[in-house]
Amino acid sequence: MSTTNVGDSLGVVLTINGKRHMLEVEPRRSLSDVIREDVGLTGTHLGCEHGVCGACTVLVDGQPARSCLMLAVQADETEITTIEGLADGDELHPIQQAMHESHGFQCGFCTPGFLMSTVALLSENPQPNRSEIRAELSGNLCRCTGYQSIVDGVETAVSLLNEAQGNQP
Amino acid sequence: MKNPAFIYHRPVGLDETLSLLADVGHDAKILAGGQSLLPTMALRLGPPEQLIDISRVPGLDGISVSATGEVTVGALVRHATVEHSADVGRYAPLVAETMPYIGHRAIRNRGTLVGSIAHADPAAELPAVCLALNATLRAVSTDGTRDIPAAEFFEGYLQTALKPNELLQQVTFPAWPSTSGGALVEVSRRHGDYALVGLACALDVRDGVVASASLAFFSVGSTAQRVSEAEAHLVGSEPSAELFARAAEVVSEALNPAPDVHGTTAYRKHLAGVLTERGLSQATAAIGVPA
Amino acid sequence: MSNTTQQSGLGFVGQSVKRVEDQRLLTGKGCYVADIEPEGVLHAVFVRSPLAHARVTSIDVDAARRAPGVAAVFTGADIVEATNPFPPFLMLPNLYTPLHWALSDKKVRMVGDPVALVLATSRYLAEDAAELVEVDYEPLDAVASISDALAADSEPLWEKADGNVVYDQTDTYGDVDAVFAAADRVITERFSCQRQANQPMETRGSVIEVDPDTGHLTVHNATQSSHMLRWIIAALADKQSTPSSLKSFVANKERRNAFVSAAKDFVSTNADSLQEQDNAGMISQVKADKSTLVHLQRIALGLLGRDNYPTVKAQDIGGGFGAKGSIAREDVALAAAAIKLGRSVKWIEDRVENLTDGGHAREETLEVAVAVDNDGTLRGMKVDLIVDQGAYPGFPVGAPFATRIMKVMFPGSYKFDAYGLRTRVVSTNKGKYVAYRGPWANETWARERMLDVVARALRMSPTDLRLKNMIGEADMPTKMITGPTLDETMSTKKTLERAIELVDLDAFATAKEEAAKAGRRLGIGFACYHEAAPGPPDYLTSVNPGTDALSAETARTTVQADGSVVVYTGQMPHGQSHETTYAQVVADELGVGIEDVELVWGNTDRTPFSVLGTGGSRGGPMGGGSVKYSSRKVRDLINHQAAEMLEASPSDIEIIDGNIHVAGVPARGLSFGEVAAAAAAGAAPTDAAFEATVDYGGHGDGGWSTATHVCFVDVDLSTGIVTIPRYLVVEDCGPVINPAIVDGQVRGGVAQGIGAVLYESSIYDSDANLQATTYMDYLIPTAAEIPDIEVHHIETLSPGENDFRGVGEGGMIGAPAAITNAVEDALSDLGARVTDQYLPPSRILELAGII
Ligand SMILES: Cc1cc2nc3c(=O)[nH]c(=O)nc-3n(C[C@H](O)[C@H](O)[C@H](O)COP(=O)(O)OP(=O)(O)OC[C@H]3O[C@@H](n4cnc5c(N)ncnc54)[C@H](O)[C@@H]3O)c2cc1C
Ligand code: FES
Ligand code: FES
Repeated sequence: MSTTNVGDSLGVVLTINGKRHMLEVEPRRSLSDVIREDVGLTGTHLGCEHGVCGACTVLVDGQPARSCLMLAVQADETEITTIEGLADGDELHPIQQAMHESHGFQCGFCTPGFLMSTVALLSENPQPNRSEIRAELSGNLCRCTGYQSIVDGVETAVSLLNEAQGNQP
Repeated sequence: MKNPAFIYHRPVGLDETLSLLADVGHDAKILAGGQSLLPTMALRLGPPEQLIDISRVPGLDGISVSATGEVTVGALVRHATVEHSADVGRYAPLVAETMPYIGHRAIRNRGTLVGSIAHADPAAELPAVCLALNATLRAVSTDGTRDIPAAEFFEGYLQTALKPNELLQQVTFPAWPSTSGGALVEVSRRHGDYALVGLACALDVRDGVVASASLAFFSVGSTAQRVSEAEAHLVGSEPSAELFARAAEVVSEALNPAPDVHGTTAYRKHLAGVLTERGLSQATAAIGVPA
Repeated sequence: MSNTTQQSGLGFVGQSVKRVEDQRLLTGKGCYVADIEPEGVLHAVFVRSPLAHARVTSIDVDAARRAPGVAAVFTGADIVEATNPFPPFLMLPNLYTPLHWALSDKKVRMVGDPVALVLATSRYLAEDAAELVEVDYEPLDAVASISDALAADSEPLWEKADGNVVYDQTDTYGDVDAVFAAADRVITERFSCQRQANQPMETRGSVIEVDPDTGHLTVHNATQSSHMLRWIIAALADKQSTPSSLKSFVANKERRNAFVSAAKDFVSTNADSLQEQDNAGMISQVKADKSTLVHLQRIALGLLGRDNYPTVKAQDIGGGFGAKGSIAREDVALAAAAIKLGRSVKWIEDRVENLTDGGHAREETLEVAVAVDNDGTLRGMKVDLIVDQGAYPGFPVGAPFATRIMKVMFPGSYKFDAYGLRTRVVSTNKGKYVAYRGPWANETWARERMLDVVARALRMSPTDLRLKNMIGEADMPTKMITGPTLDETMSTKKTLERAIELVDLDAFATAKEEAAKAGRRLGIGFACYHEAAPGPPDYLTSVNPGTDALSAETARTTVQADGSVVVYTGQMPHGQSHETTYAQVVADELGVGIEDVELVWGNTDRTPFSVLGTGGSRGGPMGGGSVKYSSRKVRDLINHQAAEMLEASPSDIEIIDGNIHVAGVPARGLSFGEVAAAAAAGAAPTDAAFEATVDYGGHGDGGWSTATHVCFVDVDLSTGIVTIPRYLVVEDCGPVINPAIVDGQVRGGVAQGIGAVLYESSIYDSDANLQATTYMDYLIPTAAEIPDIEVHHIETLSPGENDFRGVGEGGMIGAPAAITNAVEDALSDLGARVTDQYLPPSRILELAGII
């Protein structure tokens, strides 16, 4: 049992993109703020801070979650993947490559959330059809694109991922 | 939009949790998945002074099925786990059918079924499902254990029969006879939104006539509610489009939902009727068919 | 992620070159204002009014000042003391623009009106302290709607205004009365459009750094208009008394000279436009508020009396749609606080603030009367327009300026013998009106809706009525009745004809009948428009004499001594992919690859001046034009230098993939580095080897973008839910620089139009409390609601040398009309008349007579 008083901090261990971070955080701080401010990974964006826009989506133990709706202390001992963890050095993740090829995004603000949601979508359903893609991505808002280019990007990602798998059975 | 300060407790056992609740329950809220609590905290809408994070309390994360087919879901079981549970699909098909309607995947990965029930949002699906299925809600505290029938649990807007010192430990959905069919129908403005109006219904048909019926609506008032007039109208008759149409009229008549920015009273009354017909015919079709 | 596969030697312009921006934006390496965190920065929170209209009787900030982590609290009175008010920017005859300060002091005029500013070491602590600020209010009657504002006894928001109508202007073209009297029929309808919000996914924000030695401010800001923000902070954030400004100005000879030469420059380049301005606007303003002159003088002298203007910077911006072209009151308050404290401050608006005070638009009523002959010939149009500008006027331009564009564009692509418009702008206790993607768009909505009303009354098909009255190529060149010249680029008719081919109206009629038998209602709606993109020179003169000076763009193309190409623009990209499209244009001019071009934007120390920055669909035509012609000049310089080195004539120089050579002899080529080094020999190391700056205001011809939108709807009469099985746009923005990017702009605009009609409403209750303050209530459509949108291009070339035409706004201009027309078509047999833009499911069932 632990109790943390107002103003006090609690030790938290977060493994983010494969790297372990031992942090002291005030329990009221959101996971998104800790990722952005304490760990310095500003690729995760905050669009609403009340759970609707999806810009802050990260993977927690492989599953997508709104990092604005988690306290960092709730993520203690979890593995977190953020947008910075997708590319392999200069090599883009196939989903990033696909979005590039499809002119997926414009201003880029919603982008981290869409990419993380797409990773989760394709790991669960590697061959989604267009309406499944639209339904599954409906938890992420984009104000710029009208979504078509993003949906195209997911379809392109499906073929890139299939190609990649075909190459290394 | 940042959370206000609070005292944070993270108990690691049920007893600890209950004695904490006994001590500070009046000023504290339980933190389960946080998908309803944290947005209200960030908006600073009457936030609690203390949070009790139950995520490390063992024994609350199970789904079990009794020998008689009752399904029990513990306080830490997330929506996504329920959604993907074969047992729930088989023994509580209406619950399984409901899950995809709740928000979006990222919300379901964190939010808990029991948390949604404890939160008692009148627009949420699960409280209505509990009412429709006559679920039993188990509250525990240092004073002991109470089993509360769903019909007595939801008292008002975000108000339940839980006392400040009580934890909602689990919910049990009664066995689902093969003669029953259920349906969850709703209309929302966008995919994944809370419903404009929704209906959880269950129909038990024996020897060609309706033996029992339950119609529990959500987003129609300060709590989810059953419409007993319409249920009474159904019982004893053969299921038919005409019967359902008449039930729909009774429903529209009986409900008086308050207007909000998303829909007027007249619209919601109308929608409740439309959903009654839709839900009842789907439920009839579902009899004997596992979800 | 290279574009080498796309190097065809045929030119990049016209190809869907992959975005240069993606490398950082897809990997989380973008840099938005919230990502900037200077050492020791103070975090800001604004204390905002919970009441719509009230007097502030007292404010107590003691507890907040004592709270943990708090460095300072500024009240409205502190800020009024320290700053100049926002002055009127564009003064129009019959307009009163209320002067107002960055924070409110004695009176609040909207829910969310900022009354105090708290600065603390973290945002969490600042929010804690903000809750401790105690403000006593004495409520006043709220003005919650246009009809409230028009009522004779409505509580005035502004003491110096004559009631709550701040602008009342009538404009007529032709003999309206005679034309109406002579026409066979007059048809009238009253339309009303709900309040909407721009809602970029990134909210507003500012990080202001203070140089401890010089006091110089560096303002990182999500702004569409960096130079304007720089000037406004310089003008307002640090009030100096008139005598002290004068003294400082007179004492500094260098500054005096700089000012005189800049002023001469401005007057000579804008002589025509300045001559067109008269003083009527100023007279109206000063008559209402004599203090205007005192403030303007103090502001002007303050600007002259200072050397140190802030630097405004931005790298990535998460959308704006017009909202970030408006200068935030908050930014001025923050700058004042940073100056007073000598410390860096940071404010990232939260979503509730953004929905409340981040900019609203389009709340307008429009009564339209059309005089028409029985054969469908349109004769005249009269419009009574009332715009709700909310509590505070937008700065630099807000509702009044948008109405001037509406005035010009209302007749659309159709012939009319006479036209008249009465415009009123009213103040209400609601969020401020800002430009939103095609700020004049409701002229298209009301006109195109009205044409369907007229067609129905005459039992004509909506497309026949349009074709019959539309100005076509045979009529060119001609003029709109409101003044602007029309040439072939006003190709609306071609887009409509093409759209009709693409939709097969007969097949649709059959499908509609079939569906009706099954209880489903299908509808189709058309909308046609042309927009100034940038329009001919007489366009802005028709809008408001003198405003054409606002539109130009400057670019500087350089080749550095090491041969690298660096291009500077005053544009402020925030999603429009300028780095890619400008690189395409420059690469074609200079014969280099996309990756060889570096674009510099968003830093007022380095970029050329632009009044508006990015907005008004000017990025392609004006920004693109300036980049093209500055690069062309540089190309000429390179040709000359290389010709000398290769002993050839400049006209024989060819550059392919960066190899500068005499045509036909690529093997004996020179690199950019070699030619630049030769040119730079002897110059100071900081100087570019080649450099040209071009101030581009168009070629003086054409410049219209046009489109026809067609929307198909499927209305579920049991639930009122509208779905869009097909949506298509036929658009003509002339030569397309990058089709994928243009399509993205169009689709994004259409999606906002769909949002406007089916999902979005910044609705207030009768006490002027905003009802949609979170994303649970303000509904941005998702991927599940927006259909695939077909975009078809026609590329009409300009008769002159017009080059690119703008495309950023059009999607949103056409969509609301096409959708609402389709809904009325779907419900026509039920007698529905669609007069509201906002059609949520409950409204649909009301229209259908079901509830
Ligand atoms: C964008 C968004 C969309 C959503 N859409 C929907 C939707 O369509 N339908 C829907 O039903 N829900 C929706 N939700 C809410 C979601 O289902 C929540 O997860 C659920 O309502 C609460 O579960 P939780 O575990 O997150 O509870 P928490 O947020 O942790 O708690 C909620 C409340 O219940 C109390 N509580 C929780 N567990 C217990 C317990 N065991 N005993 C006593 N009290 C307890 C808490 O103290 C708190 O007051 C949405 C949420 C978001 C952010
Ligand atoms: S910022 Fe987390 S969902 Fe919008
Ligand atoms: S690209 Fe701008 S919000 Fe999606």
